[in-house]
Amino acid sequence: MTAVPGPVLLTSTAVTGLVVLLLLSVGGAHLARRRRELRDVARRAELTPLVYTLLDGEQTASSLADAPAVLDDVVLHLLPQLRGNDRQVLRDLLLARGVIDRAAEQLSARAPWRRGRAAMLLGATGSTRYTPDLVTLLEDRSSDVRSAATRALGKAGDVAAVPYLLASVSSARPVPSGIVGMALLDLGTAAIPTLRTALESGAAPARALSAGLLGLHGDLPAVAALTAAVDDAVAPTEVRLAAAAALGRIGAPQAADVLARVTVLATDAALRTTAAEALGRIGDPDSVPALAAGMTAADLRVRTACADALASIVPEGRERLRLLGASAGPAAPVARAALDAVSLDSPRSLAGAR
Amino acid sequence: MRDTLVVAGWVLTAHVALFHLITLLLVLAGARRVWRNRHWRGVEGHDETFASPLTPAVSILVPAHDEEAGILDTLSAALGQKYPALEVVLVDDGSTDRTFELVAERYALRQVTPRPTADLPVDGEILSVHRATTGDPLLVIRKTSVGRRSDALNAALNHARHPLVCMVDADSLLETEALLQVSRPFVEDPDDVVAAGGVIRAANGALTDRGTMLEPRLSRRWVVRVQVLEYLRSFLLGRTGWADAQALLIISGAFGLFRRDVVLEVGGMDPLSLAEDAELVVTIQEHLRRNRRPHRVVFVPQTVCWTEVPESWQVLGRQRKRWSHGLGQLLWKHRRMIGNPRYGPIGLLALPFFLLFELLGPVVELVGVAAVLSSLALGLVPPAVAGAVLALAIALGVLLSATAIAVEELTYHRYGRGRDLLALMGTAVVEHLWFRWAHSWYRLCGLVAALTRRTPVWTAMPRVGFSVDRAPAERLVPVGS
Repeated sequence: MTAVPGPVLLTSTAVTGLVVLLLLSVGGAHLARRRRELRDVARRAELTPLVYTLLDGEQTASSLADAPAVLDDVVLHLLPQLRGNDRQVLRDLLLARGVIDRAAEQLSARAPWRRGRAAMLLGATGSTRYTPDLVTLLEDRSSDVRSAATRALGKAGDVAAVPYLLASVSSARPVPSGIVGMALLDLGTAAIPTLRTALESGAAPARALSAGLLGLHGDLPAVAALTAAVDDAVAPTEVRLAAAAALGRIGAPQAADVLARVTVLATDAALRTTAAEALGRIGDPDSVPALAAGMTAADLRVRTACADALASIVPEGRERLRLLGASAGPAAPVARAALDAVSLDSPRSLAGAR
Repeated sequence: MRDTLVVAGWVLTAHVALFHLITLLLVLAGARRVWRNRHWRGVEGHDETFASPLTPAVSILVPAHDEEAGILDTLSAALGQKYPALEVVLVDDGSTDRTFELVAERYALRQVTPRPTADLPVDGEILSVHRATTGDPLLVIRKTSVGRRSDALNAALNHARHPLVCMVDADSLLETEALLQVSRPFVEDPDDVVAAGGVIRAANGALTDRGTMLEPRLSRRWVVRVQVLEYLRSFLLGRTGWADAQALLIISGAFGLFRRDVVLEVGGMDPLSLAEDAELVVTIQEHLRRNRRPHRVVFVPQTVCWTEVPESWQVLGRQRKRWSHGLGQLLWKHRRMIGNPRYGPIGLLALPFFLLFELLGPVVELVGVAAVLSSLALGLVPPAVAGAVLALAIALGVLLSATAIAVEELTYHRYGRGRDLLALMGTAVVEHLWFRWAHSWYRLCGLVAALTRRTPVWTAMPRVGFSVDRAPAERLVPVGS
């Protein structure tokens, strides 16, 4: 360490040069961005009224075919918020400007974000023409693209995609169940028949997802299959949990017996908790004894869920809670707290209690 | 003697070079991810998440001790989140100021019967539980303080009701869509995602109004500016890089979202840890890896929580000593994971890095610098050589900061004023003249405290609150919206 090593000096100089270059680029980028933002704001202000005149029928799509590119952003922002004829008008405008054709070409682009954005754009147009291409993208090597294709299929509204969406949950390149769930919800009630089939014969993740969605749809014809799933001791826990929650959402009193049995006898605390919550939503006074029995559970979560469920069964459940609250034992404080809570529940906190 | 000094000098050079090289790689990996995310902006599906019935409800947990300066702003920001279903659980952890009174007055609190949903051990005594009667989903727990944030968080966990829990510092402001953004991975992948963190930025100097960030501005204080830069490097890019390597070790206590069932499964927060946020993340990953359960810990770089950072060297020093002490505790507790392939990238990459560079780094740096200065004094090393090596170390450090500033400006560009950007660039250079060395000293003190097994002490940071701009209504457009 006695002479200045050449590589040290060289590296120092190179790094310093790089730093100067970076800092200059940052300054330049800052100024350019400010200018671009101001210009875009001005252009948007100019073009947005034109889009409204188009929707009012005072202009034609071809008259806007050569407008600046920022018009596409304005249209794509509006597109998901519109339905029916207005949506068709904007779709025609995008077609006239070549945006849709370019997006279709981009579905096979090299960059994942290009494929993903193209899929989202095609989905937003609400056209079923590109369903096969989007279904192919469900197996894309990029997880971001698979997710984008899933969302796009939901927006496109083609019910033919439902089996593919359900299969994608457990494929070799799976799509997260939450994204598939949102897409299936976007497809609406048309997806229900396929969901019922998947509940009984699909793979475990698809069964659990189907059960959850059927519950959100409040699908009464699915109650028998959902009850059977809860009652099936050898079914995967995720399926039983989803089915129990779904029965609660549907509010099916015919499932109360099975749910009461699970609340008292199941070994899995999460399943007992969910079954108790479902009983609370159903509100059947015949469930009161089972819920009261559940309040002796060792697990605090089960006791709390049972107490909350009793509190929502009026007046029988609350009567029992008052008795339990006055007694000794681990159920008493939970019972008193549940009664206290229902006397004060705000609208927003009730909405949050899902 | 001569040989020892020369070797020490070279060890320092190699350490500094290696540290910067690895950090630069992390920053570049983070920058790549942030850059890629930029292409997806606008199609992330936040509106769908907001409207989806599949979006899980969140309990926001806010431990507070003597936080009268900013608690109402923090609560306004938390309760004003654009999120379909949430509750806020505030724990007044033995405040001696007007924290509770202010909250009680604003939200018309009413005492209720405690309604615990879990039974994690809590050392402080729960004095009372209150709920807002203003329609806000706010629960307030009053407890005696035992001087540990983890104890307050465990009390909050015991009363949280929702499947996800978001831990937020009482001096932090969440941007309106922060919860929606950070919860997106849980909505999309509810089976595997167990924890998610977002970016923390310094709020000091910024203009806010009732919990809403109006205009991020850089503080005039250098001690704050260097922290702004440090947060950019470590939160925006470093953690993004670690998360991409599946080795994220820290989700900041100021803002992190966790699956409640998993947190309860590992026994909640470690009551004795001084780095309870990192401790929780490592414990969760250790537990799930040991049980071979698939899991993901993710980082969402576009999510922002603004927090108050120390405004004086004294407070900063206390904070950094505590962090270093906590890191020492953490590495000792999880020593079996270090270098252990069973724990994947966490065991093989993150923990060894934190041991060699974060925990032991100050020892090497300060001993090395002392050796170089001694060599210079004894004439063993020509000043030109020492100067060249020092210049290289500084240049590498500045390059790191410049990269972080560049990525910030090209992607999120939160600082709209040109002078803030210039001040950041200046900070990138001057921080190496003093902050770096002071920081190393604080970390060394923390390491000594950990090695001597000193009793962990959690000292509260004095708060100054947020800069207030009672703006006209038309200016009330939150940033990030």
